[in-house]
Amino acid sequence: MLDYAWFIFLTPIIFAPISALAGWKGKNIAGILASISIFISLALSFLLFLSIRNQSAAIYQSYNWFANINAGIYVDHLAIVMALMVSFVSLMIHLFALYYMKEDPRKNIYFGETALFTGGMLGLVLSSNLLEFFTFWELVGVCSYLLVGFWFFKPNAASAAKKAFIVTRVGDLLFIIGLAILYSSLNASGVNDPLSIPYLITNAGSVANAIGSQNLTIVALLLLGGAAGKSAQFPLHVWIPDAMEGPTTVSALIHAATMVTAGVYLIARVLPIYATSIFASDTVLFIGAFTAVFAGTIGIAVNDLKRILAYSTISQIGYMMAALGMVSVIGQSAVGLSLYHLVVHAVFKALLFMVAAVVLLVLMDLRDVKQMGGLWRKMPITMTLFFIGSITLAAIPPTAAFFSKDTIIDASYQYYLANGQGIQFLLPWIMLLLGAFTTGLYTFRMFFLVALGKPRSKLAEEAKDPPLIVLVPLMILAALSLGLGLIQYRFYDFLTPSAEIISVPTLPTYLPLIMVGIAFVIIASIYGTGLWKKMDLSKSRLYRLVKSKYYLDAIYTRGIAERVILPLSSGFSRTEDGFSRSVEKTGGGAMAFGGLLRRIQSGVVEYYFVFLVISIGIIMILLEIMGGI
Amino acid sequence: MFGILFTNQIQVMYPEIFLGLVAFGMLLLGRSVKNPRVYTAITMASLFIALFLLLTFDSGNETLFGGSYLINNFGLYFAVIMIISSLYVTFSAGATLKSNPESFFSIFLLVNVSMMVAAFSNNLIYIFIAFEGVSIGTYIMSAYGKTRRNLEASAKYFFTGIIATGFILFGSSFYYLSTGTFNLLSVNVSRGPMLVALIMLFVGFGFKLALVPLQQWAVDAYDGTANPVSAFLSTGTKVLAFLIILRVFIEGFRNFSTDVFYLFVIVSIITMTYGNMAALSENNVKRMLAYSSIAQAGYLILVVAATSASTTSAFVFTVAMFTAMYYSLVYIFMKGGAFLSVSAVRKDNVEIDDMAGIGTISPAFAISFSILMLSLAGIPPTAGFFAKYYLFLALIGSNLWWLAVIGILNSAISVFYYLKIIVVMFRKDVDGKDFNTSRAVIAPLVLAAALSLILSLFIFAYPQISAMATGLGVSI
Repeated sequence: MLDYAWFIFLTPIIFAPISALAGWKGKNIAGILASISIFISLALSFLLFLSIRNQSAAIYQSYNWFANINAGIYVDHLAIVMALMVSFVSLMIHLFALYYMKEDPRKNIYFGETALFTGGMLGLVLSSNLLEFFTFWELVGVCSYLLVGFWFFKPNAASAAKKAFIVTRVGDLLFIIGLAILYSSLNASGVNDPLSIPYLITNAGSVANAIGSQNLTIVALLLLGGAAGKSAQFPLHVWIPDAMEGPTTVSALIHAATMVTAGVYLIARVLPIYATSIFASDTVLFIGAFTAVFAGTIGIAVNDLKRILAYSTISQIGYMMAALGMVSVIGQSAVGLSLYHLVVHAVFKALLFMVAAVVLLVLMDLRDVKQMGGLWRKMPITMTLFFIGSITLAAIPPTAAFFSKDTIIDASYQYYLANGQGIQFLLPWIMLLLGAFTTGLYTFRMFFLVALGKPRSKLAEEAKDPPLIVLVPLMILAALSLGLGLIQYRFYDFLTPSAEIISVPTLPTYLPLIMVGIAFVIIASIYGTGLWKKMDLSKSRLYRLVKSKYYLDAIYTRGIAERVILPLSSGFSRTEDGFSRSVEKTGGGAMAFGGLLRRIQSGVVEYYFVFLVISIGIIMILLEIMGGI
Repeated sequence: MFGILFTNQIQVMYPEIFLGLVAFGMLLLGRSVKNPRVYTAITMASLFIALFLLLTFDSGNETLFGGSYLINNFGLYFAVIMIISSLYVTFSAGATLKSNPESFFSIFLLVNVSMMVAAFSNNLIYIFIAFEGVSIGTYIMSAYGKTRRNLEASAKYFFTGIIATGFILFGSSFYYLSTGTFNLLSVNVSRGPMLVALIMLFVGFGFKLALVPLQQWAVDAYDGTANPVSAFLSTGTKVLAFLIILRVFIEGFRNFSTDVFYLFVIVSIITMTYGNMAALSENNVKRMLAYSSIAQAGYLILVVAATSASTTSAFVFTVAMFTAMYYSLVYIFMKGGAFLSVSAVRKDNVEIDDMAGIGTISPAFAISFSILMLSLAGIPPTAGFFAKYYLFLALIGSNLWWLAVIGILNSAISVFYYLKIIVVMFRKDVDGKDFNTSRAVIAPLVLAAALSLILSLFIFAYPQISAMATGLGVSI
């Protein structure tokens, strides 16, 4: 008997083709069906949450898939939190998309794909086996590809979809190699069902003994590679900004709230493995912290509204990663820190993206923030929501992100303290602090340019609020952005019983807020006064470096893709040409030979007998020689 | 007085006796009724009854007539699938047989009687008699229609066939000389006479399976006979010949497995390669199918090679036997369906180009035929793929990598001509073609295609089917 938890992810998957078919010829029913299916998922998740709220044992149900791989569901507190978040945010975005995609002729396909995506994401969250996890991981990757390229007739969208797919593929390759190593070494040491998540997380110590801690470190690093690809961490972050070419609701759903956090979830899921290796967990921490500041600096120089949000997503995921990397100091409490920020981020980033969707809809897809301005007066309700989203992103109290993000920064200070105050251990804290500073910079810059000042284009002058009803999902999210801070410690305790309480000296605690304050002052003096119009940064080398995204994209496309991969592939294709020509030649030879053989078939019976006798004679001789005693 | 009818020896013969009586009754009926549909119906019904009788009376384990006649599941399985192949041919033959249906069908039933006897025989004389019963019946069936082509095909088949008969008798007598019995046993005797017996029996039985260099009758006979007859020749009688080869060479020559191994390896390599190469450049559809069935016979006898290798094991034996039984079953439908489908073109000597455009006129035909071709080529998820998969698994299991590679390369070559015909069918030039796409032609084909897909589920019956192989009486 299937537990009803299965239907959390099965319902949207089943509904996906139904809604795509039912909405044929652009009927509205597609979106409604998809939303209903996700509502069912949300309701089931909530029921499940109520039933396992007070128990520490997880729900585990699995069936043999093949060989010694059992696939099924494994729902513990971590999974249920993630499932609630995914289904809730997805429902909000679906409801909003009913309005946003109203005019699109292929919206049935859109809703089919987003429902499939949500099902895949929920399946990933509830997987009981890493291989099953990987399968769903690929499913959401495919959905992301399809949805980014949803407006495939735009050349940008088509190439962005390809880029997203290829870059994440690099990560996926690392992931599957890691799984293969883990499987083969555990299988060799006689473990039954080696890739099962419950086994791995309850027996991390014996796994390390069985396969050697060095191998386990390699596995952990490879999994981190997969997570970095999916969650857009340095150096595989380059795909997210381009992925903004898709519909904005897709960016909200996939590239802000859910799929990009799959990498974080993966590491949180198997965190006990990282706990066995200081090197692996420190790598997670440093990559996360570095990404947080690195992406933040690019965010300051970007003018495309959606791309600012994209870089901020990369930067915020860096915080979640960094929180997980501190497992060596704060143990499993790291999961609570990371997931709390993940949930909060999903809520406010979905809100910001949907606000961006409204703005872009009103401004006819004009994305340059320098052409906006003054929107607060034109569309006050939307911009109020934008304001709430922005202060949450900047982590100003009492918004939820203040509690979630600053706790992570505090924890990194504790990391420094716990490691004997060596200067290299202060580095994560410094990077995260600078990350908070850059967050303040790009957030306020974005807000000043979009909402304040005077309208700088005709479209911006004519902007006005959409119907209030479509903003309801956004309002719910805004309320949550403000209110989620209330449950901070309960959340930590729900994920990790008796979670460690982060306590650091007073000054480091207030420093992030001070940083944001400085950022506000800087931005207000430049963008609040119109000074920015007179500044010419194009001569500054630093600005050009940041503006060109540290030349990483250029290195990938021009250096690696054009210099290495393309010549390699054309070389291969030439070899293959030669090969296929030789196959053709062989084919011709075979045909000629066959024709010769058919000549034996002359139709004259007498010849047949002669042929028969001769060949039987030959076979007898061969047999005598080969089988000879 | 009638008590004798209920003794064991007679009870196990009920299906044979029943079919024989029906055959003679049919001849009598032929004086008044000429409608072919009546005879088709009678034949179908009696074959079904025979199937029922088989499953009722022959499903035990019995040794009769001093070990010459073995009732067990192995023989029963083959008897059942041979009856099924006859049913399939009957199902599709009715419409094409117009003159003298009663004689055709009564001979057909008598052939079935012989096939069932052969399925259970474990004695070279029994096998010989049953085998001749099948041969003589099929000589007559292949002359059916009495056109010049039919008669020529029949004559060639007959002349080469009686040579084979001679070889079987000769081989059997050598076997008797060495072992002192006609029963198939593992006996330890000197190699010389046994080697002669081996070759002679191989020539005799290999004839029906059309192994190279004994294949030459096959192409002419398949090409010249009516489509249902060639379907039957290439399915029912081939399965029979294959069964006998399994019995004689795995069981009867157990102590000479090295010789058996080399003989079958050499012959199967030549056969596969010959069949595939010749089919590559053949333009006549029926001749192409004939060559392809020669190639398929080459794959089939690899089973014997796998079980006779010195590196074989109990596992390999089980897999190989499963392959033999599963492949035979699958083969009936894919090959039978393919031969019958040639009727869709109203013309003698159907060339591959004559099939062009049938995809637009009757998609059901083209799709079903494509499935059969894919199954013959061994492409998943068709049953043909799984048959080949287990075959190569058996070979690899006994460390015959090189043989498996040769087999797979041959499969790869064969894909070319199977796909060629698919491509031609979906071409768009239909003008000037006369296709017969009536239900009588399409239905058997669709049935065969559906079965070629459904039978792939039979791999889940692996334990049950391979358990029947114990009836072969060989343990490794």
